[in-house]
Order: sequence, then C-alpha cells, then structure tokens
Amino acid sequence: MRKELEAALTAQLGDAVICVEKTDRRTVFVDVRREAIRAASRIIVAQGGRYMCSVGYDEIARDGSLGLVHTYSVDSEDRFVCLRTKAPADDPEVESITPDLPSAGWSEREYMDLLGFKFPNHPKPKKLIVCDDWPPGIYPMRKEVPHDLVPQGAEDVAYQLDEAPPGTKIVPIGPFHPSLHEPEHFAVYVDGETIKGCDYRGFMTHRGIEKLCQTQVSYNEIPFIAERICGICGSVHATAYSQAVEAAGGIRIPRRAEYIRTLMLEIERIHSNLLWLGVAGHLIGFDTVFMQAWRVREQLMWLAERLTGNRKTYGMILIGGVRRDITPEIADDIRAVVTKIEQELRVIHKAIEKDSSIHKRTKGVGTITKQEAIDWGLVGPVARARGVDIDARRDHPYAAYDEMKFDVPVLDDCDVWATLVIRVLEVYEAIRIIHQVLDRMPSGEYFVELKDDIPPLRHAITVVEAPRGESTHYVITGEDNRPERWRVRAPTYPNLQAVPLMLLDEQFGDFPIILGSIDPCFSCTDRVAVVDLRSGKASSLTKSELERMSRKGGL
Amino acid sequence: MQPMFDNPPGLLLVFGNLLVFLLFAPLFDGIIRRVAARVQNRVGPPLLQSFYDLFKLLGKENVDSAGTAPYRLAPLVAFASILCVVAILPVAGRPTALTPYADAISLIYLLTLGGVAVLMGAFASRNIYALIGASREMTTMIMVEPILFMILLLGVLKTGSLDLTTVIYGTPAREYGWPGIVMLVVSLFALQAFVGRQPFDIAEAEQEIMGGPFMEYSGPNYALFKYYLMVKQMFYAYLPVAVFVPLLGARHVGFDLVIQLMLTALVFLLIGLLSATHPRFRIDQALKYFAGLFVVALFAIGGALFA
Repeated sequence: MRKELEAALTAQLGDAVICVEKTDRRTVFVDVRREAIRAASRIIVAQGGRYMCSVGYDEIARDGSLGLVHTYSVDSEDRFVCLRTKAPADDPEVESITPDLPSAGWSEREYMDLLGFKFPNHPKPKKLIVCDDWPPGIYPMRKEVPHDLVPQGAEDVAYQLDEAPPGTKIVPIGPFHPSLHEPEHFAVYVDGETIKGCDYRGFMTHRGIEKLCQTQVSYNEIPFIAERICGICGSVHATAYSQAVEAAGGIRIPRRAEYIRTLMLEIERIHSNLLWLGVAGHLIGFDTVFMQAWRVREQLMWLAERLTGNRKTYGMILIGGVRRDITPEIADDIRAVVTKIEQELRVIHKAIEKDSSIHKRTKGVGTITKQEAIDWGLVGPVARARGVDIDARRDHPYAAYDEMKFDVPVLDDCDVWATLVIRVLEVYEAIRIIHQVLDRMPSGEYFVELKDDIPPLRHAITVVEAPRGESTHYVITGEDNRPERWRVRAPTYPNLQAVPLMLLDEQFGDFPIILGSIDPCFSCTDRVAVVDLRSGKASSLTKSELERMSRKGGL
Repeated sequence: MQPMFDNPPGLLLVFGNLLVFLLFAPLFDGIIRRVAARVQNRVGPPLLQSFYDLFKLLGKENVDSAGTAPYRLAPLVAFASILCVVAILPVAGRPTALTPYADAISLIYLLTLGGVAVLMGAFASRNIYALIGASREMTTMIMVEPILFMILLLGVLKTGSLDLTTVIYGTPAREYGWPGIVMLVVSLFALQAFVGRQPFDIAEAEQEIMGGPFMEYSGPNYALFKYYLMVKQMFYAYLPVAVFVPLLGARHVGFDLVIQLMLTALVFLLIGLLSATHPRFRIDQALKYFAGLFVVALFAIGGALFA
C-alpha cells in the first residue's frame, strides 16, 4: 500500500511530495506542499481512501505555520492515510477539498473559525463553530488564545440563513423543539408539506473540550472528560482517546483489559440501540415502542450500575487498561441480563416487523442512494442501511475484536426502516460478542502503569465503532504531560452533513424521524471552541422586558 | 317518533345533558390515558388527571400572544359550539327542550363551527406551526365531515325525516340491514380521525409541530380548547352507540343513560387501545385512508337508497 501510494504520488506530483512514511502497522503519513493537497487527496481517494475528517493544529511557535491533516481510511486493507500539509500563519491559504469530498465541508469550516485557515474555493465558507458575534481575527484554537477568553459580545449580529428556494416557507426547528434533544437550529424550507431545502446552524453548546484538554489537564484525566463528550457513547470516546495515546506512546495494554473494553463497548451498544429504538418510536408518534424499548433497556442500566457504579458514563476506561475487573460472579450476572434482554427484544422485534403502520412511516423515507452515502462519507448503521459495508470493529480491529465472531448486518433498502432493522440486529450481535468475551477472557492484569514519558509530537489516529458509527480520534502528543492536539470526530459529524440531502423532497411530517434516524448527537458534534456569550447579555434585561419579548416576539 | 315512556321535562334534559358531558368527558379522557399507560407498562395518571389539567390551566394567567379579537374569541366559540351540540342532542332517546328547534343539518353545522373556531384561532396566532397544523386540520375536516354526514344521512334515508331524535333513534336496528353494518364499521374506522387520536393526531403532532393550532394558547384559553376537544371526543364516541345500539326503552331515562354511558366507556377503551398501538400517519397517507372510507360510506348510502 505505502509503496504504490508513494509511487502514484511522486509520479503525479513530483517535488510537491515531501515524504511518505509508515508509523505503525496501519498508518501511513503523507506530507505534501500545500499547492498539491487537492491533487494528493484525489490520488488517495482513487486508491480506495474513504475521507474521515480533517485536523488542524497550531505550529506557529515552532515554525510560524499552521498544520492541516486530512485523514482517510482504506477499509479493505485496514490502513489509515493521513495527508499532512502546512501553511504559513500569515498566509494560511489552502485549496479546499470540499468540491471533491462534500463531507470535508465542516472540517474545513471548523478550521476557518478556529485556526484562521482560508479555503478560497470552499463552496459554503460560512461560520460553523464560533458564535455569530465572535470578533474577527481571534482564532480560539491557536495557542496564543487562552482557554477561558471571553471577548466582548456584539449587538444585532445574526446568522444569515441560506436563501430559501422561491415559493417556500421557512419553518424554524429549534434551538428548542421536541424532536431535537439538544439545542440546534434547522431552517426547513417547505412548499406545502414538501421539504425543498434546509439550512443548519449548530454548535450552540460548545464546551471547549478539546482546548481544555490541550491546555489544562494531563493525559490520564482526559479519558474521563472524553467520556463526558457524549452521554450515550462515553466509553467509545474514552477508548478511542486512550487507544490513540497508547498508539502514539507505543504502550501495550494487557489482553484482559482489551477484553473488558470490548465488553463495555458492547454493553454500551446495546444500551444505545435500545435507547434509539425508543426515540425512533416516539418520533413517529408511537410511544408504545418508546416505553417498551426503554423498559428493556432499564435492566441494562441496573446492570451497569452493579458493574461500574454508574447507570451510564461508566468511567471504566483508562490509558493503560481499565479501572475495574470482571469477577466470575458479575460475569454470570451479565450473561443473565443480556440473555433476558435478547428474549424481550425478540418480542418487540417481531411486533415491529409485522406492523404495517410502522412500515408506512419508515419504508422509503429518508432515502439516499448508496453512491450518495459514499460521497457524503456516511458511517455506521446509517451507511450500512444504504449498502455501504463498513464497520470499524471488523475493518480496523481494536481491543479484542480480532478474536470475536460477529456479523455486520448490511441492507440496501436505503431508508429509515433499514436503519431500524440494522440497529435491532446489532443488539443481537452485541450479545453474541458479550458471550464470547465472557467465555474467552484471559486471566491476568487489567491495567498497566505508564513507565516512561510519552514522547512528544507523535501523531496517531484511531477509530472505534460507536453505536451510531465510526468515531475517529487524532492525537498529537505534547510536552507537558498532555496532548498538544486532540481532535474528536463523532459519527454525527459526517452523518448530520448529509441530512439536508435525506430531507430533500420528503414530507415535513417525516422530518423528525429522518433527522432521528442518524441518531444525532449534537453534544458530540459541538465539542470544540470556546464560550457562549449570549447569556450574559440577557441578564441585563428586566423581567418584564423579557416577558414582553417572549410573548410579542417570534413570527 | 313519540317516546312511549315517561319523559322528563325538556329543559331539565338540556342541563342534564350538559352536566353529563362536562363531567364524563374528562373522565373518559382519563380512561384513554390509563389504557395507553397499561399497554406501555406504565401505571399511568389517575383517572381524574384530565380534570386536574383543566383546573390547573384555568388557574393560570391568560396570555394574549396575538393581541387580536379572533385569537381571544376562538376558544370561546369552539367551546360554545360544542355545548350547543350537547344541548340539542337527544341523549338516551329523549329530546331536550332545544331539540325541536334543531335538526341533523344544524348538528353538523355546529360541529363544523367548532372546527372553524380552531382554525380561526390558529390563523390568528400567526405562528408557522399553528398554520401548518391548521392546514392539516382543514384537510382532515374536509375529508372527515362528509363521513359524519353520511352516518346521519343513513338515518335520514330510513326515516325520511331530518328531526334529530328520529334520525338518531328512529330506525330499529334490524331495519338498517347491511348498509347499517357497513356504516357502523365505517364509523368505528373513522373514530380515531373524529377524535384526533393516533394514527390521526396529525394536526397536533407534538414531535413535528408541537400541538399545531393550539401552539400559542395557554392558560384558560387553552383549557377551553382542551375541554372542547374532550367533549367533542365524547360526542363522537357516543354517536355510534346512539345510532346503532338500540335503546332498551326502559321507563326511566337514567337506565338507558347508564347503559349508553357504559357502552361509550367501551368505545373509549377502543380509542385508547388504537392510539397506543399505532404510530402517527402522515397527512398524505391519512388522506388516502379517508378517501377509502368515504367511498365505502358512499357505497352504504347507495345500498340504503336502492336496496
């Protein structure tokens, strides 16, 4: 792979290729001059690369430049390709790859906002992450900007929505709406009941997690912060981060710890899929599915509490292993609970399978073709429901997945129904994996202390298959016992970008379930950047003014 | 048809009807909530919860978010119109003092007036969600009202009279023949649409348009709308019982009334079960369904005309 790639790159780009190196079994780093980035990206895609995300980082103190990495996964060969380039901070222009790879759109906008990159040929160079009254010229991800900076807010600045297609009305959805569980704003352009377009303004709840972890805490604390990126797939983020640091530092963790990580990840998958099944039922107005799925899920939360002390946010994953062991007694407990869940889920599954009214609301809804799913870089059940056969557990085995036998359900109905079926089937597969983990778990240590310092400026990338799809973490190790750069890309990040396409020409009544079908996790997506300033302004209003505004305002 | 049994004074019946509907409508609503809860493995709220909801809303401040007269009047008109329906309704076969002044047509007028009031309030609130809800409500009304009309028309055809008591109670069950059975089935299939429950709670669709026409309403105004919906729901649940289940012809009105209320409670059980076991349809899917019902109802009317 590395040789062919190097040959193709040097043949076509010549001197623009600085170096091609393989840092570990899986990862190839390609350094190119910035003029060649789009061409190099095309070559990597032509060789089977699937674009994952981009990472921007600040190198101003070292050589006055900003770094940019586009990452790709070659799923059939278990390889990652990281395409790196640099641009001087005083002239940070890089050619955009979004015209070729639409799912790069957000990543590039992110680094326009956060690092001051400029992408002259970007099709939609609007603000994505920082709030609308963020002062120009302050790029929060640059090292010179402190993590707790609160700049002066501005009056009367608002996000400019995309132009509505002629003859349509704008239906504002959010920031607060029953079908969104977190604050985000969609402007949906409808003609009667038909959706003709949609603009998205998100990133309203930035907690500045990446910046915080790069400046304030140390390696060993981050898994617990990573776990709080998302309330549903916490272990996923903690595992992915830990794996990235372990890969960069060359740490090998005990096999037993890898088994326990696998166990926790699969418990989390069962939890998440049951949770989603309930939410999907609720979104099509079928609360019985909601209540029953959550009743089944509840016993898993009790199990998790016995296992880890918490119903969710397990806090099990550490760099170097896991925090608690699995005793034979608790193993029997797990077996009993997952067996019961399987039985009860089969009853619900059977009922759903035959329910023609559920078919009516989900079949042929949110349809996009397999090719569109590939072009937009969809991941997880949403992609597998559209015939895209990717699953990080099988394609890039981590933890103990290399020894597990499981099927990856793939359907080509391309709609919400297929997504639903896949997520139900994946629960059965997760239960299969849990039984295998408990049967085969080797004895021994489950945690290893870090002996040496982790060497600085190593780059590493890992993926973990979250219940919603692939989570990608990119770590650059740093000098002060903390990462220099840590980039998190949750599965919602690519999937949400394709939602406007899924909504196009669908009925407005299907908006909640189409958006819901990707199981959007806005908190995962909104993890970057700094602080929101709006609340401070609101407090200067009197109660009666606020009341008047809230009553007379609106449309 | 002249009732052959003791007839309490008609004026008393007007107030009796109102009392029965105003007391039982929230209670029956409570049945739906309880049934749905049991299907969903929940305990569910107390049977009187809908009363508590109404009391709570009535005790809140009335917020006039649109600031226009139609917005303020809409809940009153809706509630008043459904009270008029109840006042002229010959419950348990006994005409009230007001029944002779009305007929089957005015009953449909009054029911439609309630729907129009909802639309008026929705348009007056100038909220995009209310507008979407209103347009869905309007589409539903256009499709569903004719079905109601045809249910009553069957009685009109059988008896040759528009008088309410005659239309509703005048035909002995066996004289309806097969069109009667078809129409009973139609009225049960249309039930969820009449009462705006799943799968036809499309106009309110919480997850999509957050209550649609009622979005801007709160406090006592909203309580009136809620009460209107509950009484309307009871009317539609009572209608098939009144039209298709023969009266015992007991000497005492109370006896017939109790039987009919118990049957109505059973209809509410059905409503609860249906709404707990269905997702919401989309408006385009609902329209197809209504169109099918419409054709079947028309078929039954044709049968009654030419059989």
